[in-house]
Amino acid sequence: MNDLLSVENLRFDNCHGKRWQNKGSKFTLGPINFSIQAGETLAIVGANGSGKSLLAKLLVGLEQPDSGSIYLNERKLEHYDNKHRVLNIRMVFQNSNESLNPGITLGSILEEPLKLNTRLDNQARIAKVEQTLKLVGLLPEHRFFYRHMLSDGQRQRVALARAIILNPQVIVADEPFAALDPSVRSQTVNLLMELQRELGLGFIFISHNLGIVRHISDKILVMKQGKVVESGKTDVIFHWPKDEYTKKLVHAHQALINGQS
Amino acid sequence: MSLLDIKNLTLEIDSQSGWIKALDKINLVINEGQIHALVGESGSGKSIIVKAIVGAISDRWRITADRMTWRGQDLLTMSVRERRKIIRSDISVIFQNPKSSLDPIVPLGDQLKEVILATRLEKGMFWNRAKARKKYASELLHRVGIKDHEVYMRSLPHQIPNDVCQKFMIAMALASQPKLVIADDPTRGMEITDKSQILKLLSRVNKVRKLSILFVSHDLLAISSMADHMTVLYCGQTVESGRMSQLRKRALHPYTKALLESAPSFRTDLPPKSPLSSLGGTIPTFQHLPIGCRLGPRCPRARKECVKVPEVRRIHEHTYSCHFPLHRDQK
Repeated sequence: MNDLLSVENLRFDNCHGKRWQNKGSKFTLGPINFSIQAGETLAIVGANGSGKSLLAKLLVGLEQPDSGSIYLNERKLEHYDNKHRVLNIRMVFQNSNESLNPGITLGSILEEPLKLNTRLDNQARIAKVEQTLKLVGLLPEHRFFYRHMLSDGQRQRVALARAIILNPQVIVADEPFAALDPSVRSQTVNLLMELQRELGLGFIFISHNLGIVRHISDKILVMKQGKVVESGKTDVIFHWPKDEYTKKLVHAHQALINGQS
Repeated sequence: MSLLDIKNLTLEIDSQSGWIKALDKINLVINEGQIHALVGESGSGKSIIVKAIVGAISDRWRITADRMTWRGQDLLTMSVRERRKIIRSDISVIFQNPKSSLDPIVPLGDQLKEVILATRLEKGMFWNRAKARKKYASELLHRVGIKDHEVYMRSLPHQIPNDVCQKFMIAMALASQPKLVIADDPTRGMEITDKSQILKLLSRVNKVRKLSILFVSHDLLAISSMADHMTVLYCGQTVESGRMSQLRKRALHPYTKALLESAPSFRTDLPPKSPLSSLGGTIPTFQHLPIGCRLGPRCPRARKECVKVPEVRRIHEHTYSCHFPLHRDQK
């Protein structure tokens, strides 16, 4: 089966100060290799400052990689090729609260990507917005609402609706569950899995919560200081971790679960 | 004898639509040497309880309780001065966000030295006191697992990692050798290795110094690994309270059950990618609280009777408040 998204030798150098002076601390990301297929979920795990968010930004094109390439459906994705990328890779931001514009209605927030990227007319755009709102479990009337009228879970749904409104093939999410309460969190997890089944999305997400990672992901990428220390199937990594750092993570998680009995 | 004993604590906040009960008849008992967990989602009034215990609430709010005592002394009727004295020496709080609750422009060592009570230091002449204070501070830091105390005591909060900041907060809380530490979501936003370190530290302190801990969080995984007793809150009402092992084995209230089931880590039998069980709807805001049992609109077992506030019922140490608890239909 063909890979939906694959990344080869992706590198990113970040240095403070001037490059020719060779001064300042330097942070190097990569080389990173991975691939996912349609309907698969990849989880990125790692310490703070290990470059997880940077990797997400590279994938959606917010940052330009120094070397390496990203292939979407076997076709190389150039950095300047925003049109193609935007239609197929969408991002859900960490804090759905702050990433929604408080001054305009949800309908206009959701309409914006349609205006910029499609040739739909007004009627069709509204129909599309309503249909997407229904898909994520909100009502069509919610398009007249403003951000402050919604609860946390509903905001997360809107953020997700904005990601899927252009019918993308891949969704990249930066800690989508971190700010949510347990009962709302399991709702969002269910919604995501349901959408993935229906639309066949590839889903890449960053999380600290190993319980959820274990539950919903097919593959895991463990990162430490910009390097991938281990990657593979979720089951394999949780049962037979090889790297020291992964072992530490998994054991800490197991200890928390077993500690109570 | 119980350290802190709270019965029917009610806190009302004035709003445009009249007085709203932010806390409605909360019961909480903490014994010596116990780790008590307070679980609830955001907006359930966890932090308000913490504030009510240390007396840091606004004058405009109305607070009433049948009983709110600290080792037999009534906290509500005593003067502000007396109460402050108790809280200064016996109760300390670890706040939610270490980086934002520490002073950004004072070196961490100075902040730590400031909270050390003079009575905890060795007696000495005045020229020895600064040295004694410094020695005490560095001992505290060693105890919470900070090795390079010289470096960290000189640095400012923004210069050091988050988990070290949190350890500093714990050291500051332990500085006055309190009887009770209130940890208000100490592991929020931490990754799992740091989290387990902090939890180990807290439970070690609990064992070695016989310190009671009130652990406030919504991270069930962290809670269940260390707490002996648990109280579950929902929208300012106590839902269920009892021994941790008992609650995990047999939760009686539908909300507790939903909360436990929403964490996939607890369920080993769950196949991957299967839907998690969850309650529909979201937590109501304080302006739109339902009458009676506040879980009512979201509860799968709600019936007509649920518009009345359920009585607190008790089976041995296990208390719950629900009209239709889960064990009833097993008979």
